[in-house]
Amino acid sequence: MSLLNLSYIKTKIKNGLEVIIHQDKSLPLVAVNIWYKAGSANEKPDKTGLAHLFEHMMFQGSENVAKEMHFKYIQEAGGILNGSTSFDRTNYYEKLPSNALETALWLESDRMGFLLKALDESKLENQKSVVVNERLERYDNQPYGLAWELIVKNLFPEGHPYSWPTIGFKKDIESFSLDDVINFFKLYYSPSNATLVIAGDVDIQEAIILVEKYFGEIPSFETPAFPQTENFSLAENLYVEHKDNVQLQRLYLAFPTVKCYQPCDAEYEILSDILSGSKNSRLNKRLVFDEQIAQDVSAFQFAGKYGGMFIIVSTAKPGVKLSELKQKIFEEISLIVSNGITEKEFIKTQNGIKSNFISAMQNIDHIADHLNHYNFYLGEPNSFEFDINRYQSVNPDDVQKIAKDLISKNYLELNIIQKEN
Amino acid sequence: MTMNRTKPELKNEIKFRLDNIATYTLSNGLKLFYLRKEKLPMIRLNFVIESGGKFDALASPGTARLTSQTIDEGADGLSALELSDEFDLLGTDFSISADNDFIIFSLQSLTENFCKSIELLSKVILKPDFPGKEFEREKKKLTVSIMQLKDDPEMIAEQIFDKIIFGNHYYGLPVRGYLGSVENINLNDIKNHYQKHFKAENSFIAAAGNIPYEDFFHSAEKYFNTLPSSSEKILLPESIEASDKKVFVYNKPDSVQTEIRIGYLSGRRNLSDYFSKLLLNTIFGGQFNSRLNSNLREKKGFTYGIHSQFIYYKNSGYFSISTSVSSENTFEAVKEILSEIQNLEKGVTKEELEFAQTSLTRKFPLNFENYRQLTSNLSALAIHQLPLSYFNNYLQNLNTVTLYQVNEQAKKLSQADMKIILVGNKNTFENDFKNNGFELMNVNEKGEVL
Repeated sequence: MSLLNLSYIKTKIKNGLEVIIHQDKSLPLVAVNIWYKAGSANEKPDKTGLAHLFEHMMFQGSENVAKEMHFKYIQEAGGILNGSTSFDRTNYYEKLPSNALETALWLESDRMGFLLKALDESKLENQKSVVVNERLERYDNQPYGLAWELIVKNLFPEGHPYSWPTIGFKKDIESFSLDDVINFFKLYYSPSNATLVIAGDVDIQEAIILVEKYFGEIPSFETPAFPQTENFSLAENLYVEHKDNVQLQRLYLAFPTVKCYQPCDAEYEILSDILSGSKNSRLNKRLVFDEQIAQDVSAFQFAGKYGGMFIIVSTAKPGVKLSELKQKIFEEISLIVSNGITEKEFIKTQNGIKSNFISAMQNIDHIADHLNHYNFYLGEPNSFEFDINRYQSVNPDDVQKIAKDLISKNYLELNIIQKEN
Repeated sequence: MTMNRTKPELKNEIKFRLDNIATYTLSNGLKLFYLRKEKLPMIRLNFVIESGGKFDALASPGTARLTSQTIDEGADGLSALELSDEFDLLGTDFSISADNDFIIFSLQSLTENFCKSIELLSKVILKPDFPGKEFEREKKKLTVSIMQLKDDPEMIAEQIFDKIIFGNHYYGLPVRGYLGSVENINLNDIKNHYQKHFKAENSFIAAAGNIPYEDFFHSAEKYFNTLPSSSEKILLPESIEASDKKVFVYNKPDSVQTEIRIGYLSGRRNLSDYFSKLLLNTIFGGQFNSRLNSNLREKKGFTYGIHSQFIYYKNSGYFSISTSVSSENTFEAVKEILSEIQNLEKGVTKEELEFAQTSLTRKFPLNFENYRQLTSNLSALAIHQLPLSYFNNYLQNLNTVTLYQVNEQAKKLSQADMKIILVGNKNTFENDFKNNGFELMNVNEKGEVL
């Protein structure tokens, strides 16, 4: 499928900054997307949330860009922008009319090379407060909002880079000093630790000249080695209970699995679709449709550079015990282990995956981010076909086998139950 | 520093023009809007039927939503699961939603599977079976989701806001209904809702895809020319009685934040003031660098973000500011918002207006990148009865708005009867408000004053 086979050039400029350029002239737009190879997995356990707080500081202006002007220049050019932090990496991106490519490169290079002198206490205190509010809004004040951090904290071994949430714990966020922020920059924000993707309506040679012009003078430095982790299993089943202000109880089952793009990663994803990806999927049919003991159910494989887990989540209807949900979830997985899956289930999943791959090619900023994603995890930006083939080469027996692997694992069970009033 | 790191100049302005929109009306009155988009082998459509929650005012809140949840639970002899499997086997994304005005069927498929997908869609829309058993399950799902509303401070704030702004008007009702109202809805109610409102004259299809427009019109005609017509116009009561009170509080003692909504009834969309309101809002609270966000986030650090917007239903519209702040900052945040509103009396500056015009002008091509954007832009034309030339004249209309026009709107906003809705731990902010002369009205999650 040539739709999923993208042409690109990949090069490194002198300071080690990796550059990937993909031309697409279908609309007069350009996407600029930088991945720094540092996320919350690179933090220390008592300084959680620093990578994410640092991301916020990158929007506070740099030596040649006053506070708030970063946003303003992009908006003035008609662009949109943002950044995000995950366990594995931090990214920054813009999508603009293609005549504004230079503006984006100027801004990205200024904060890559000339950030530190522009940092000060008042900017830091302001953004610490913004991030604390972000944590309150997205986690503490949300029903079931603490589930994710309870899972990662309890499932991953102590000290594992995924054993704390990317947003960080409140006491850590509040404790950060300007030195912490500066040191994080000096450890990880070297051009040689970043990859810049430019995708869209650009002239490739002109784009390279602009990259050299704006990024060429930024000095590189050595960055720490990536954390090393092994896949692990639990010595026994773990049980965690958490009381929350919720009307309905919710069950979470988390099984340690594999890192992304390792063998079995695609099989787990297909299994999750068979279990909960559609109305007639196994768990939805049993729990939500037929027996009506759950309000919802979903399963997914979460996998990153340093680890992975398979998660099943289900919300109980009023009066239904979580133990009943759990028992029936295991029964359904056992049925796959003993009888396998049908041809029809398998085709549904495969066709859904194919449609999703094509649909994902609509937006140039998404393509840019994916080139960076594949480059980071696989070393090859144009891995769209490789990726879809991972799924298409799985057969129904493999799904049966992976269900068997899953069910034989020890797991973490989290129950979120009502607070007594 | 080895080079001059000043802001680069933009090269030539980009010229962008949307392709022509093709339209056609079937003999039964169903209107079709179509845009060809060639990049990928895909097509997306919205089938939009004016049968939304506003008609529940005549029956029972939740009826339209429950109709939308039940309509794909079996059709033309296919069971709910068979129907869902058929869509899945094609890799077609199919979903149904209900809002205040409309029930909307959305379909996205590969072009090679479009004919089969639209045929399935026609079964759902024209030949729903409404099996009793499936209805009961969907009804239970809806009532349980209404129970869950109590957990979600944002949803509570939205529901109360609608009620306070619109009072007993039909837009004040929640589309999902109330616990009590949904329990009383029976299968006949949703069958009646379907019979009464699923009419060709009340409907349109907005689509964008990689097939010729003739093929699209042909498929639409083949499968939907039997959608019944009706000349009956359903009249809804239009009067709105607003409360004379100002601050409404839903006490949620377990909250660590307060959800804040501030707004007023600003009226339906019309071309004479749409662009001046859009520009005003862009400056005031519509983008990251807006006055509100610069003050409450970047200066004060009260919030992760604050946003304002003019919302347009088919027959009315409102202005709203929304944010959430940590409990102890509730009063200070409201005070800052009110002072920003007050400041609008002095108007905005020429620089602010030019910045907003430039930004929206240059951003224009970004609104037409994906199939979802295209179908929703076409839907907006149909819903608000905008001329087909609307997008071609958009930039001219945007850029001829004067500072005087924007400042007229700014003044209106500064003088508007703003209602304030707070959902949070009342103990943490009650005294701050009282000491500053505000009367707090306690409301329940329906927005009824206690």
